[in-house]
Amino acid sequence: MALSLSPSPAPGEGGESANPLGGVFSKYEGPRKQILRDRSLQWWRRVLPVIASHRLTFLTAIALSFVSLILQTLIPNLLNGAIDRGLKHASVLHHDVVLILIIGVLTGISGIVSRQYLFYTAYNVEADLRSLIYEHLTWLSFSFYDRVQSGQLISRANSDIRSVQAYSTFAPLIIVQCLGGVLAFIFMLVISPLLAVIALTVMPILYFVGIKMRRVMFPISWIIQSRLADVATIVDENVNGVRVVKSFAQEEAEINRLADTAERVAWSYIKDAQIRGTWSPWVQNLPQLGLALVLFFGGWMVLQGTLGVGAILAFNLYLLMLQAPFMMLGQLVMMGQRARASAERIFEILDENPDIVERPGAIDLPLVKGVIRFDHVRFEYDNGAEILSDFDARIEPGETVAIVGRTGSGKSTVARLLTRFYDVSGGAVTIDGHDVRDVTLESLRASVGVVLDEPFLFSISIFENIAYGRPDATFEEVQSAARAANADEFIVKLSEGYDTVVGERGYTLSGGQRQRIAIARTLLVNPPILILDDATSAIDVHIEAGIYEALTRLLRQRTTIVIAHRISTIALASRVILLDEGRVVATGTHEELLATSPLYVQVLAQTKPEKP
Amino acid sequence: MAWGGWGGGGGMFGGRATAAGLPFGGIPSELMGGATKILETEPVHPPSAIAFTQRPNAKERERLTLPRLLRAYPGYVVAGSTLVILTSLVMQVGPLLTEYAINNGMGGSHLHVVGHRSLTIIAICSMFYLVSAFVSVYLQRLQVDVTGRLSSRVMHDLRIRVFTHFQRLSLDFFTEEKAGVLMSRMTSDIENLQQLIQDGISSFAMQGLTMIVITAILFKLNVVLAAWTILLIVPLLFVLSVWFHHASEKGYLLVRDRIANVLADLSESLYGIRVVTANNRQPRNIRNHRHVVGAYRDSNLYTGRVNAIYGPATIMIGILGQGLLLAIGGHMVLTHKLSLGALAAFFLYLNRFFSPIQLLVQQYTSLQQGRSSIIRLRELVETPPSVDEVENASALPTIEGRITFEHVSFGYLPGKTVLHDVTLEIAPGESVAFVGPTGAGKSTMAKLANRFYDPTEGRVLLDGIDIRTVTLRSLRSQLGVVPQEAFLFAGSIRTNLSFGRTGITDEEIEEAIDMVGLRELVERLPQGLDTEVHERGQTLAAGERQLLALARAFLARPRILILDEATSSLDLRSETVIERALDRLLEGRSAILIAHRLTTAQRADRIVVIDHGGIVEMGTPKELLKAGGAYAAMYNAWLASGGRDSTKG
Repeated sequence: MALSLSPSPAPGEGGESANPLGGVFSKYEGPRKQILRDRSLQWWRRVLPVIASHRLTFLTAIALSFVSLILQTLIPNLLNGAIDRGLKHASVLHHDVVLILIIGVLTGISGIVSRQYLFYTAYNVEADLRSLIYEHLTWLSFSFYDRVQSGQLISRANSDIRSVQAYSTFAPLIIVQCLGGVLAFIFMLVISPLLAVIALTVMPILYFVGIKMRRVMFPISWIIQSRLADVATIVDENVNGVRVVKSFAQEEAEINRLADTAERVAWSYIKDAQIRGTWSPWVQNLPQLGLALVLFFGGWMVLQGTLGVGAILAFNLYLLMLQAPFMMLGQLVMMGQRARASAERIFEILDENPDIVERPGAIDLPLVKGVIRFDHVRFEYDNGAEILSDFDARIEPGETVAIVGRTGSGKSTVARLLTRFYDVSGGAVTIDGHDVRDVTLESLRASVGVVLDEPFLFSISIFENIAYGRPDATFEEVQSAARAANADEFIVKLSEGYDTVVGERGYTLSGGQRQRIAIARTLLVNPPILILDDATSAIDVHIEAGIYEALTRLLRQRTTIVIAHRISTIALASRVILLDEGRVVATGTHEELLATSPLYVQVLAQTKPEKP
Repeated sequence: MAWGGWGGGGGMFGGRATAAGLPFGGIPSELMGGATKILETEPVHPPSAIAFTQRPNAKERERLTLPRLLRAYPGYVVAGSTLVILTSLVMQVGPLLTEYAINNGMGGSHLHVVGHRSLTIIAICSMFYLVSAFVSVYLQRLQVDVTGRLSSRVMHDLRIRVFTHFQRLSLDFFTEEKAGVLMSRMTSDIENLQQLIQDGISSFAMQGLTMIVITAILFKLNVVLAAWTILLIVPLLFVLSVWFHHASEKGYLLVRDRIANVLADLSESLYGIRVVTANNRQPRNIRNHRHVVGAYRDSNLYTGRVNAIYGPATIMIGILGQGLLLAIGGHMVLTHKLSLGALAAFFLYLNRFFSPIQLLVQQYTSLQQGRSSIIRLRELVETPPSVDEVENASALPTIEGRITFEHVSFGYLPGKTVLHDVTLEIAPGESVAFVGPTGAGKSTMAKLANRFYDPTEGRVLLDGIDIRTVTLRSLRSQLGVVPQEAFLFAGSIRTNLSFGRTGITDEEIEEAIDMVGLRELVERLPQGLDTEVHERGQTLAAGERQLLALARAFLARPRILILDEATSSLDLRSETVIERALDRLLEGRSAILIAHRLTTAQRADRIVVIDHGGIVEMGTPKELLKAGGAYAAMYNAWLASGGRDSTKG
């Protein structure tokens, strides 16, 4: 690995590319190992494979820092030797000085190299964890997203990873320092076994304090982390709901909501300090207690004539070497408990299994003709609300069908089942006779294009947004998709045309403009089955007519499901399926249903307009 | 007790912030006892009563610096500093006692003077040593407690200050800045500072003090040798520290920026998860995220490299310094300018001088992290809102509802005007429909009326008062806006409906539910009005969300109502219900209706056709249809495409 001192690119030079999703080029290749799935294992055991995938750098780091420590431990001995020998001759002195200087340089070099490797390992482990969480989240099913707020997820992918990372950088350092303590103990044993044992009689206290600390620190760490997530959730909601907050002038209420939550964070941190204050000073001062014992018993031994005064000095030096690791040991236990709490919270995400998974041996959906069959489909959401009770319908290749029903009648659910965003609770959905659960997700979703009712755009350029499903598309292809969606005319008028970067979630564009880009995005993929889920609701009639003109040309070769309320949209379909209370109540052409179905008439009810 | 939910429901971990009953995770069962015991000691926090004003008060206008933040708690700061000083002094008692015991108890170099008195001296010294250790434990305990309180209070203040400023910022900030950036300011940056104040500063101070105390002792032992120590070690350490300071500051700022990018990418992926999935973008996005994470890792590696050099290099300087001092001191001994015992004692203290350096280095890192965080936070709180109140803005009195656009021009970007010299007056109680092609500026007019943006030229007046002269709160609380995208907060349907105004009764909510035709939905849901909803939950259909947003606006009882394509996702039946409700709602209120469904427009008292940034046509629906202009053409196109004809019947 490179040990050069320039980040890539140099910091402060703003080397990031303009594309926020693209970021800068990094050699990072992603995680090599997953965490272990076995939930019965301890948290660090579960992360171990990820750390072990960097074992070369990690072990080198540990080995070198141990070398550095041994070298460092030699120094007091050398100094004492030099002083003890009484500094009789300048030549002896020079010899000792040169030795110390050489050891000093070697200590420095081994220390620098070992830490380079240590940080390298730690930051790679962090990057691995971040990638693992992201990758796992990407594959989770929508039922998960329906019940979990993103503020929670972001907090876990941030604060919690930070605490795990802080620990994974810090812990090995401390452990090496503690090894230094072991060395110091060995030196002490050599000088005086009895005094060494006495000096360390205080150590068992450390063990008990450690256990006690772990027991009390873990719950408070958990409480802190979860309350930090509450704060993150409020911030996330306020960023996304800023228009609502401002429209209702509810800033004050939101600030107080945050303040209440922050108050609970503050309390838990204070509690944390109290608990820490009760225990960690004991750990930090144990070497002092040891030194007091050494002074008494060592002094007594000196008086007995069984020990030299020099030994007292040496013990002082060695116990001092224990001071630093002990100071950090308390912190180590605390950070360890926080890391454990955080790791468990991260595992909660990683242990979530996607509901929608490919069957083993799933095949790629062959070239689609487009026969869609909903075979007595039943569907309910996790909260038990039944949306579809017995939805049974067949759509022929090349047919354009409108699904009509009241708000909340389950129209959008039909689209979500066909793309396998959710799985049916009963019955089956098939395309050309293949159950959607038997084919690969990628081939299914490549065959079924859906324009969603929420025209979500990413903060990347309009070109990239349209090419989202086919990033290799040429400019001409993107442009012709945009033309078909009637979007080209307004895009070229934007300051940078197709290169205009749309703001956060596309809010710099109007609702109708976003919907047109969303339509272009799906048209570019050119799927054999197309679903328009209320995709033109914010587009004015004039433009909608233009889009449909283009669509009718395009739709001729494909099976299309249109979910809409507008008669103008419904008119596009050759057949209408009327949905109510989770089942098909009528099907036929628009005119037929108008004539035969009172419910249809009611759903499309014409009101008697009161005179303005 | 239920631990269900992220952040725990049941009001134990979360408050209103978390949707209770989300069956995800919770506290591991073996911890429940411990956590419950801790939470039992939690007092009931009095609800916060922070007053929000758009204009920051004098305190909020102060430059955001760490010392200023700390200054708010002089008691804690004084107590903390005193404890830090006391602790570092007490920590030095031990070596002095050891030295005394060796010299006077064990006879120092004169080993022949031993006796009963010596043992007493040793015992007394050991006793005092032991006592000093216990005192030090006690002092540290107090100190951890004080700094814990200090850091928690300061961070609490900071969270509120940053969040308050965030509420002051205008919409353009939110469209430009990525959500992840704001998120990382409110989370990691503040958490960095928390750590700094809690442990960093006090141990920085303690280690620094220890070094000063020891320097004094060194000088007392031997001035020449002490001077050499300072001369050899301090300049080197200083140069190294200056380098480290610059290198790591650059590095940490980069880290702050790149972690914000990571969070922004993550947050966008979460919100756009449906589009990602529908487009099979997962593999590509994963690669993409690896780049973003990789860039963040690289910046971390850079700071890691800087740290890796700084820490061991200081150790090296320490050892080299000791070697050179041995040479110098040794020669002094050889030339009888120094006693051997004094040299030994000198090295004893020299070691105590070097060991805090390592801890200092570690604290220095957290100091640097904290510094870069405060720089980023300062940038945020110093960003002025583009739409702001004037000094001493008055509250807008309850208005009748006359809206005047006076020669208004506006563009989101300089040089790109969306509206050009628009003049329009809407009378109290009048409902006006804005129609025209998408992107023509209809919504922009609405956004100017409630001051989401300010016009670049001209003014907007309510009842003849320039809206830039009144407080934003008094203005917006009289305007109800229902946007196209109905954002719901995590919480029950009931809390969402009560969002707009304090003191909304259950009866009013029930009435609003009936009015927008959501009775059926509420009855279908297992928990009725107490059903939890949240921003991306799919339990509600888009249309149902819009209806809830309408009900929310109804309940806020605004003087002026703006419906910005608020009925686009509704089926015709619901729209009919809404239109009936509108009649009641608009009674005595002025309204701006933005809709491409011309049925809604037809119900308005007046129609304003907006195109190319200006008013093309204006009049009652009848007049416009009769005039046969732009509106008539739109209406006919709409009829032809299947729109309901409201002129007949």
